[in-house]
Amino acid sequence: MAVDWQLAAFLILSALEVAGSILVVTSKKLVHAAFWLAMTLVTIGGIYLILLSEFVFLIQILVYAGAVPVLFVFGIMLTRRKIMEEVTPPERTETATEPGKEGNP
Amino acid sequence: MSGHLVAPNLFELCRVLIGGILGILSDAIKGAAPPGSPVEGLRGLGDAILAPWLIDLSAWLIAITIMVTWAAAVMLLTFMWIERKTYSRLQDRYGIMISVWSLPFWPFSWWAKRRNKPTHKGLGWLQNVADGVKLLQKENITPAKADSPMFHTAPVLIASSTILIFAALPFSEGFLIADVPLSLLFILAAFSLAPLGILIAGWASNNKYTLIGGMRAAAQLMAYEIPLLLAVIALLFYSGTLNVIDIVGAQEVALLTIGPLSIPAWNIFSIPQFLGFIVFFVAIIAEMERIPFDIPEAEAELVEGWLTEYSGMRFGLVFGFKWLRAIAGSALIVILYFGGWSGPVWYTANLSVGGAVVPIPIIPHEVWFLLKLVLLFLVFVWISWSVPRVRIDQILNIGWKRLIPLALLALILAAVFAAFAPLPAGIR
Repeated sequence: MAVDWQLAAFLILSALEVAGSILVVTSKKLVHAAFWLAMTLVTIGGIYLILLSEFVFLIQILVYAGAVPVLFVFGIMLTRRKIMEEVTPPERTETATEPGKEGNP
Repeated sequence: MSGHLVAPNLFELCRVLIGGILGILSDAIKGAAPPGSPVEGLRGLGDAILAPWLIDLSAWLIAITIMVTWAAAVMLLTFMWIERKTYSRLQDRYGIMISVWSLPFWPFSWWAKRRNKPTHKGLGWLQNVADGVKLLQKENITPAKADSPMFHTAPVLIASSTILIFAALPFSEGFLIADVPLSLLFILAAFSLAPLGILIAGWASNNKYTLIGGMRAAAQLMAYEIPLLLAVIALLFYSGTLNVIDIVGAQEVALLTIGPLSIPAWNIFSIPQFLGFIVFFVAIIAEMERIPFDIPEAEAELVEGWLTEYSGMRFGLVFGFKWLRAIAGSALIVILYFGGWSGPVWYTANLSVGGAVVPIPIIPHEVWFLLKLVLLFLVFVWISWSVPRVRIDQILNIGWKRLIPLALLALILAAVFAAFAPLPAGIR
């Protein structure tokens, strides 16, 4: 049983990469898209590692995964979306009463 | 001649160990199932567990487990303890004092009562364990409108990227997991993954304090990564390699010898590297988010910064791993500027193992490394509990206007010194 581990790793990484890049363009929230972009870039780095170019792999992580937070900040600051979702507590119409304690004189 | 205890390295040691254990197991299986007995089929199992790939795999797993336990449990708890004890002493109080005798169950409580031991006057190392147990028991609360998947991804990202540092960070020539040729770059790349996790944590919590804290953390960590890397580039002119073991090896030669004393050629003793050291030191404090630069979690204004909304062990993970980053940063400074694990090793204890004489170093390299690590960490603690917090604009001014020009100066000086190395004799 000879398993081509390099091929297996390549298939897994490229599947993640394709999935990540599809999610980048289909995500509704910009911040999610930035996160999936980070995953795509790191998996591309993994493919560089399979091709035995460790330096490019590390630079890929250092530069691109380091640049994604900037994209994140831009995504949060430069888009006119509502960042904070307001939480309004539901109105309490009826007060919970405990049956045992109410009737006591 | 080697001065380290874990020799030749952790993986080989684990392989010898697990090979021995599996050999005994295999012999036991073969002894229990002699040929001709009804369970003779088990002899195949006895041979199968001696397969080289199985031994290699288990040796790797055990080596990784040892390293993670050492770094994320022993070192983390010890450094937290050192910090808590030291700042308590700086503030003229005792600090944490939980001892074994404070444990409320049988052997300890009984013995403490019998010998009339004071139950809360110990060294206090167990306080961190107690805090960890408390955090494990607490409920994990997800805020109502939080982005739940990203909220739960962020601690994993932060913790795993911090653990990833220790895949390449050595504690001596032998006490390491993988000796890769580009290990310094690997460590820095793993270090630079955390801002992403911090920003995700700050955004996904859906809280204005966490968002502000996350933005501040991202701005600060990104800004201070540039002088950090520039200082490392200045250092590379001297070492000429990105492997941390070779960087330490280059510092082990004697700079000058005065009688019996010989001063090693540590990088901090050279003019451009000293400038680089100042830059690296300040930048690594900012990367650790320690107190002069802890504006991302300024308790007075933002509740707890980007980790406000975390509770239970998730809080423990993101909070405690800050110390792990502090350990990694201190270790990086020790390796790059203070000669790593080099130090005088005296061989006098000769252990005889099966006829072969094994020289045991009296002060092995691991001890030297830990000593330097703790001393440097005490300096960090000292700084962080005596210096007031700097404002966000001051942080960015220090980063962009002071540290980057200083790092560039160190870079140019290092290039000049490396180009005209033989000319200024004695001056490095």
